[in-house]
Amino acid sequence: MTRQRKRRWRAFLALGVALTLVAAACGGDDDDDDTSGGGTKGGGDRKEDTGTVNVLNAMEPDEGDAVQAVMDDNIDADYDVEIEASSEFEEQLPIRAEGETLDIALVPQPGGVIDQAEAGTIVSLEDLGFDIAELEDLFGEYYVGLTEHEGKHWGLPTNINLKSMIWYPKDDFDKAGYEVPETFDDLLALSDQIVKDGGTPWCVGFESGGASGWPATDWMEDIMLRTAGTETYDKWVAHEIPFDDPAVVTAAEDFGKVMFGKDYVLGGAKQTPSVAFGDAPGPMFKDPPGCWLHRQASFINAFFPEDAEAGKDYDWFPFPTIEEGQDNILFGGEFAVVGTAGNRDEVVDFLNQFMAEKVQCAMGKEAASSRISPNVNVKGDCYANDILADSSEILTTALKEGTGRFDASDMLPGDVNSAFWTEMLGYMQDGASSAKSHLSAIEKTWP
Amino acid sequence: MVRQADELVEEPPPDVDDADADAAGKPSVASRGLTLAGVSLLRIVGALAIPLLGFTALWSTFDFLRDADANRFLVIGVAVVVGVGGVFALFWGMNLVTDLLPERLRDGIRPYVFVGPALVILSVFLIYPLINTVFLSLKDRTGDEWVGLDNYHFIFTNDSMLRSMRNTALWIVLVPLLAVTIGLVFASLADRLRRGEAVAKSMIFLPMAISFAGAAVTFRLIYSFRPEGFGSNVGLLNGIKSGLGMQPTPWMQQQPWNNFLLIVIMVWMQTGFAMVVLSAAIKAIPDEIIEAARIDGASELQVFRRIIVPTIGPTIVVVTTYMVINALKVFDIVFVMSENAENSQTEVIAERMISTYFQGRNAGRAAAIAVVLFVAVVPIMLWNIRRFRAEEAIR
Repeated sequence: MTRQRKRRWRAFLALGVALTLVAAACGGDDDDDDTSGGGTKGGGDRKEDTGTVNVLNAMEPDEGDAVQAVMDDNIDADYDVEIEASSEFEEQLPIRAEGETLDIALVPQPGGVIDQAEAGTIVSLEDLGFDIAELEDLFGEYYVGLTEHEGKHWGLPTNINLKSMIWYPKDDFDKAGYEVPETFDDLLALSDQIVKDGGTPWCVGFESGGASGWPATDWMEDIMLRTAGTETYDKWVAHEIPFDDPAVVTAAEDFGKVMFGKDYVLGGAKQTPSVAFGDAPGPMFKDPPGCWLHRQASFINAFFPEDAEAGKDYDWFPFPTIEEGQDNILFGGEFAVVGTAGNRDEVVDFLNQFMAEKVQCAMGKEAASSRISPNVNVKGDCYANDILADSSEILTTALKEGTGRFDASDMLPGDVNSAFWTEMLGYMQDGASSAKSHLSAIEKTWP
Repeated sequence: MVRQADELVEEPPPDVDDADADAAGKPSVASRGLTLAGVSLLRIVGALAIPLLGFTALWSTFDFLRDADANRFLVIGVAVVVGVGGVFALFWGMNLVTDLLPERLRDGIRPYVFVGPALVILSVFLIYPLINTVFLSLKDRTGDEWVGLDNYHFIFTNDSMLRSMRNTALWIVLVPLLAVTIGLVFASLADRLRRGEAVAKSMIFLPMAISFAGAAVTFRLIYSFRPEGFGSNVGLLNGIKSGLGMQPTPWMQQQPWNNFLLIVIMVWMQTGFAMVVLSAAIKAIPDEIIEAARIDGASELQVFRRIIVPTIGPTIVVVTTYMVINALKVFDIVFVMSENAENSQTEVIAERMISTYFQGRNAGRAAAIAVVLFVAVVPIMLWNIRRFRAEEAIR
């Protein structure tokens, strides 16, 4: 390089650095404004009503429309309610919350609620004037306590769905003379019976693109709850016991009893990582059924053939008892959070109406939304069909008695959870004896 | 891209030197120093203030437009006109301002004024994020606490990360090797076709028009697998196997062959590009040289090896570099194709970065992986720039 060129380069470099600093300084200022603004406005001071309450959510368009119709008919107020179903909810939530344009968002994970609480972009239920003891009566202490952070509560339960369900082809099942099993041993005995009769008991599929493996973690959580109980489950989620604790290994081995039983699983356990979870129940609807049992959460009936009829072509039973007295329930759900812009009287009024029996019952009646209410006072006759009504019965009982637990995957740290997915797939491929080593691999990922 | 940036830096010849020479003509040493200081100051002010002013004007316009309650299409229309016209007006205005300066300074300042906006954009969108990423890579999962080199320690000890590096190495060797070789063979063979050269080339070039994700979806259907009992196999390969009465194979679970199956996709996409560029280079070889070789009795193979390949050598190097960098960055194919890359052991570095951030929600580790990836690309870029310089010098 010549001398001049070197000098020229240096000038460019200096200019570049200067501009970077200017840009960095500007960026920094913006950030400071945001947080300090959020901090002062986040407190007790109410804002002026605007006449419209916006509810950002991750519902499918059809479900969103159905809920919007229920709101229009049932919310008794002089403001408008806007149910905004967004397909980019995950990205939109932090943008709207930080930009102080968020009224209400329906967040599907407790972790997501806590993240926003930590960022100071949402208002606590206490600051909005909710009485926590009252909420605990409505939704159970456990559900309300899930979004507790630094002594305050941040998320209002607005929806719940049941995960501990085993589906079966009702008419063929009855014809073959099989009975709904009461215990895990019965379940295994039933599986043996089906094999003896020349059938294949289980349809299982764990493929779900980049999230492959999650249905397997649901199995594990279900069995954990029914073998080790809620207390150990909570400790397991909070990492007060290691991920490869004997209690977890026992659960994995019970899981293995189903997956690695001879001729139990259609295609064999090794193939389950390649079977899409939505395709998995398909063979159940063949004649004769390609399989007889399928464990999946309540949403799965959306993947059933269109002409399949509930109560005839299919039905479900709760995951059977493994340890006596540990009939705990695994559920998922959603929380309403209020952004700093939503700290208004009309928003609070809306939430009060939204969580009350009248509106929740009306949403249950709407078949297109098929939402189950976490409000324990909403009775079974509020629902459009028996599947929803029965699920609601089980869920509200569990909430009242404190035997329900939220999906652990939504509460574990991200990298632990993706290791959980991956290692469960590895377990399927490596066979029954590998349970402990795969659990130890997950344990290593805890931060 | 590299070429253009290089030219921007290299091209404007009569700036510093000329200004210096002008100033050197003056008698007083003191006044010369003063003028020089003034010139540098004006240059910097010019390069900084004018684009910043323009940006502010454009920014506030867009800010106003964003909050405007008007018809959406109207707003979009105005935004396009203001945006495109604004940038044009910015450069035109800056040129005008430069023309108003004393003649002596004009040539010195003009290049800076024109490069200024590009520098601002480069700094804000490239240099600043780069520096920020390095900082972030030294922090924990949320970016709150400093953790030193922990994230880097993780990258170089974790099984999955090490595997991703091994796989990436496989990609950066095989993709350029196969794509360039096949592309070169096609290019030289297509060159001999009397008819249909364009059609043949278009067929091979066609996959270039598909996005990586799109190609991955296509191949997902080719490699698709369903175990017995879950319906018929819709996958092309397994369809053929079933048709021949064989058992279907879960292709994406066949370790380590699944890596090669993924590499095939990228080769399929990139061969067309290599072919088109190399074909252009082959056509640029003067006929006399090849004719002379033939008259001297060289066989076709000798002509290819001794004449064609050495002559288009520089082009081959450029194409290879491009492929190596592309292979280093590959992410979409693995992400779309693999059910769970860690489980099927088909991880690559860029894919690890995305899943660490979006699934693992670990910002620190993801940033550290980004830095490693960046460091891996730098030597290739530097080598490419140096080679390019050397070539320019020969010319």
